[in-house]
Amino acid sequence: MNPLDTPLTRRGFLGTVGALGGALALAACGGKSTPPGTGGATGAAAGGASYSGPAVKLAFWNGWTGADGDFAKQMVDQFNKANPNVQVQMNVYQWADFFQKLPAAVQSGNGPDVSVMHIDDIPTQAAQQVIVPIDEIAKALNLSGSQFAPAVWNGGMYNDKRYGIPIDVHNLGLFYNQDLFDKAGISAPPTNESEYLDALDKLKSKGIQGSWVSPFQFTGGFMFQSLLWQFGGDLYNSDNTQATWDSDAGVKALQWMVDLVNKGYSPKNVGQDADYLALKNSKNAMNWQGIWQVNDVNKLTSPKIGLAPLPKIGSQGGVWGNSHQFVLPRNGSNDSNKQAAARYFIHWFTQHEAEWAQSAKVPAETSLQQSPEFTKLTDLKPFAQEVPDVHFPPAVAGIGDATGKLYDAIQAAVLGKSDPAGALHSSANTATGILSSNKKKYG
Amino acid sequence: MTGTVTAERTQSQATPVRRRPVRGHGVATPYLFLLPYGVLFIGFMVIPAAYGIWISLHDYDYLLPHQPWVGLQNYTDLFKSGTRDSADFWNSMKATGIFTLFSVPFLVVLPLGIALLLNRAFPGRTFFRAVFFTPYVLGVAVVSVLFRFLLDPNIGVVNTYLHHLGVARNIPWTTQLPWAWVSLVGMTVWWTLGFNAIIYLAGLQDIPRELYEAADVDGATNWDKFRHVTLPGLRPVMVFVITLTILASANMFGQALLVTNGAPANQTRTAIMEIGQVGLRQYRQGAAAAMSYILAVVLILISLINFRLLRNRGEA
Amino acid sequence: MSTATSDELAANTGSGRPAANHPGAWAARRTGFWVLIGLLTVIFVAPLLWMLVTSFKTPNAATNPDGSWIPHPFDGSSYRNLLSLGSATPVLRWFFNSLAAGLANTALILIVDSLAAYALARMEFVGRRAIFATVVGTIFLPGFMFLVPNFLIVSKLGWLDSLWAIIVPSAGGAFGVFFLRQFFSTLPRELEEAAIIDGANQWEVFTRVVLPLARPALATLAVLSFLTNWNDFLWPVFVLFSSSNLTLPAGLSTLQSAATTNYSLIMAGAVIASVPAIILFVIAQRQIIEGISRSGLKG
Repeated sequence: MNPLDTPLTRRGFLGTVGALGGALALAACGGKSTPPGTGGATGAAAGGASYSGPAVKLAFWNGWTGADGDFAKQMVDQFNKANPNVQVQMNVYQWADFFQKLPAAVQSGNGPDVSVMHIDDIPTQAAQQVIVPIDEIAKALNLSGSQFAPAVWNGGMYNDKRYGIPIDVHNLGLFYNQDLFDKAGISAPPTNESEYLDALDKLKSKGIQGSWVSPFQFTGGFMFQSLLWQFGGDLYNSDNTQATWDSDAGVKALQWMVDLVNKGYSPKNVGQDADYLALKNSKNAMNWQGIWQVNDVNKLTSPKIGLAPLPKIGSQGGVWGNSHQFVLPRNGSNDSNKQAAARYFIHWFTQHEAEWAQSAKVPAETSLQQSPEFTKLTDLKPFAQEVPDVHFPPAVAGIGDATGKLYDAIQAAVLGKSDPAGALHSSANTATGILSSNKKKYG
Repeated sequence: MTGTVTAERTQSQATPVRRRPVRGHGVATPYLFLLPYGVLFIGFMVIPAAYGIWISLHDYDYLLPHQPWVGLQNYTDLFKSGTRDSADFWNSMKATGIFTLFSVPFLVVLPLGIALLLNRAFPGRTFFRAVFFTPYVLGVAVVSVLFRFLLDPNIGVVNTYLHHLGVARNIPWTTQLPWAWVSLVGMTVWWTLGFNAIIYLAGLQDIPRELYEAADVDGATNWDKFRHVTLPGLRPVMVFVITLTILASANMFGQALLVTNGAPANQTRTAIMEIGQVGLRQYRQGAAAAMSYILAVVLILISLINFRLLRNRGEA
Repeated sequence: MSTATSDELAANTGSGRPAANHPGAWAARRTGFWVLIGLLTVIFVAPLLWMLVTSFKTPNAATNPDGSWIPHPFDGSSYRNLLSLGSATPVLRWFFNSLAAGLANTALILIVDSLAAYALARMEFVGRRAIFATVVGTIFLPGFMFLVPNFLIVSKLGWLDSLWAIIVPSAGGAFGVFFLRQFFSTLPRELEEAAIIDGANQWEVFTRVVLPLARPALATLAVLSFLTNWNDFLWPVFVLFSSSNLTLPAGLSTLQSAATTNYSLIMAGAVIASVPAIILFVIAQRQIIEGISRSGLKG
């Protein structure tokens, strides 16, 4: 089955309206010596609705290693076949390498023509002028805030300019092992704290540690953030000048995770990826895991892995999530045809957002989340249901430096090296210092 | 520099030749010989190193238009408690120190034992040499992923077997001390032992057979021969192995990054991991360059002590 | 101190040979020897064998903690994925890139380092000690700090995303010069002086007298340089962009991701990569060991 045979062309020709205005300012953004967004050269084509210039090759870089990359490659192949005059060459690097490489390549004038990154990386890269504003593409695509969850839409902004075009939301959900549930006599995935603990007790009576807690960012860090929001807390204060994860809500969240270990619902010392691998090998029954693993568990013949929204442990909904967004790197080549083709490629890709969702993502546009193309992907339904509760990382330059301290604290507490309150408190203090020094640096 | 002195001294002891070289060349000749390397050395070592010093004097992010001058602050901050990097940096230096302290003795002694074994004539010798050397041709990424899974505390194969054998349960190989160090040192020994063993093997070829024969005539035991013939004969090789191994251990980061990822609580996060994080992920090249230079100074001091100690022992 | 000279080749394998004056002790020793070597072999081979077994497992079976040594079901899809034509992960191509870059880098290092080391070892000129001290000093600088500056230099040279970036910059490293200079210092001067008296110029002395004598040291340096280049990871990941231009370590890193690790695929990649390398080693090991012997390791 080729999922790409029936492309969505819903927005196919709407773009042209806003395109002309956009092209002028946009085409100027590529010059190495030209500061972004100051105008200059004239555009060769519309803001992305179509491309009719001479044949060009586009370099497209992303961090989609693994299954995501295979899927993206299929879509790129599809695009290349449909558009002989724009040939996209995709290069994949691990995200960690990607963020060393992309800035260096752009700085030296060897950057790609189009790229993808997460919400929380956009401000840093924008502040460093690795990527350029693309308000015009959003206009050309007729995109507006009302079509997206506010955090997704605003996450693509930095200093009142748009740098990212959202294409998906990828959030946490509850992955559970149906075989183990059957064995323990659990009829349905738990939806709240008492059901969760009840399920854990039933599993425990069968000798199964039912909810492995990872001390690493994947997935312990994401689990903590979800719990933090569920207990009414937040990572940072409203103007992102202070880390607030050491609030009562934060301490409660981390204590809850540590208790899973202390009460024997999780083994001690869970290694990297072990929470998820154990789920697939029927050693672990429940894992707060990312939607990106859905296709991976579907490949299994046994055991059967069920998918559900995260249980509400605290008083309100709260789910960690992030979003992939298209960005335009500052381009040294200053080739206006390439820039126009890159805009067209982004345009094409966002039109095929519902197909991209088949790589196990929720489409960024809320209306597409109801579309038949997406709703037929029933596995993803629990994740789409959660979208109103999804919290995204704050869009502040250098935010990863500060949040990294949180992951250190979670690890120390889950591995029993510090008490939760103490670890959270000292890491929040350090992170607040980092926020202020980053503010000085990035402005 | 001390290495030079050692070499010259050794030479003058061994062969009493004149110390001044004969001038058989024109004034320009040495510079012409130096030229090709000099171009590469200046282009890819001196300029970047000097640039590194310049960077370390700024709040440097090569992507931003302005690089504020901060003088020596990047250095002094590292020696002041409560600054952004000082605790993390010295913590990582300590981790590197621990790793070096524990890995170097194993990587100096065990390969020697293996080399002595493989130096005998026995059937299949080439096969066994290949066996011990093979891990080294696998890159650090592959070796680390392999061991991360083998050593996983809860789903790792090593613990599964230890459990079946009734030895122990759920040893936290990758998440708790001292196990994480045991794992990192152990896998590094597995990975690079063959490399040092080959150098020793070569050194053993170099010890004149007559010395062993003379020892046999004197009725020396194997242990006597090892102590009085093999070890002294290998001393220069050993200096070389120790120096190389210290440098390699001090630069360790791939294993820690991929196997323990710094766990528990950053206690296995090495200096190079920290420098990489600060310089390449947080885009603070100034602080990272200052850290690099401090690490380099420490390494130079250690190497000087190392040369001095080994030289003195050699003279005693 | 060793008194060996270079014309005496490494025929000696007997330094650890037991005295063998008592037949019973001899047999016991021999058993002990084989037990020891067998044990060590198990320790060294088991992880390698595990790698091979894992590469033929399905991705999920590869992470099963039960630790089966027989892949069930037997699954060759990892190899098909890696070796298929038009694969996004052309492992063989990466292998040849690594091989080409490693050989070229090694050749470059041998040429420039031997010239410089000879000048530093044997010639008199202003600044000799200062130059040598500077060169040696750079050995201690962590390679990490050169990443960004060298990236910018390589990009100015137009070498990004090309094997030139893997071949040339690391030839500026100081190790080889230090190593060869130490070796040249230990060579007896008489041969060179005799050649000069016979009317040879410095270039002829170097190429006809010194280099042939230095063959073992050059072989050693060649092996060390090649392996360093072969295993280098950080720099290639940084400067190479296109999938078809990657070296092996850089390419294999693209098989991993933060979210999922496909163990069987990575292990298959490692097997494909290491088999030719192991064959090369088996063929070359005698030369390597003899090459390293009587090289510049005499301190």
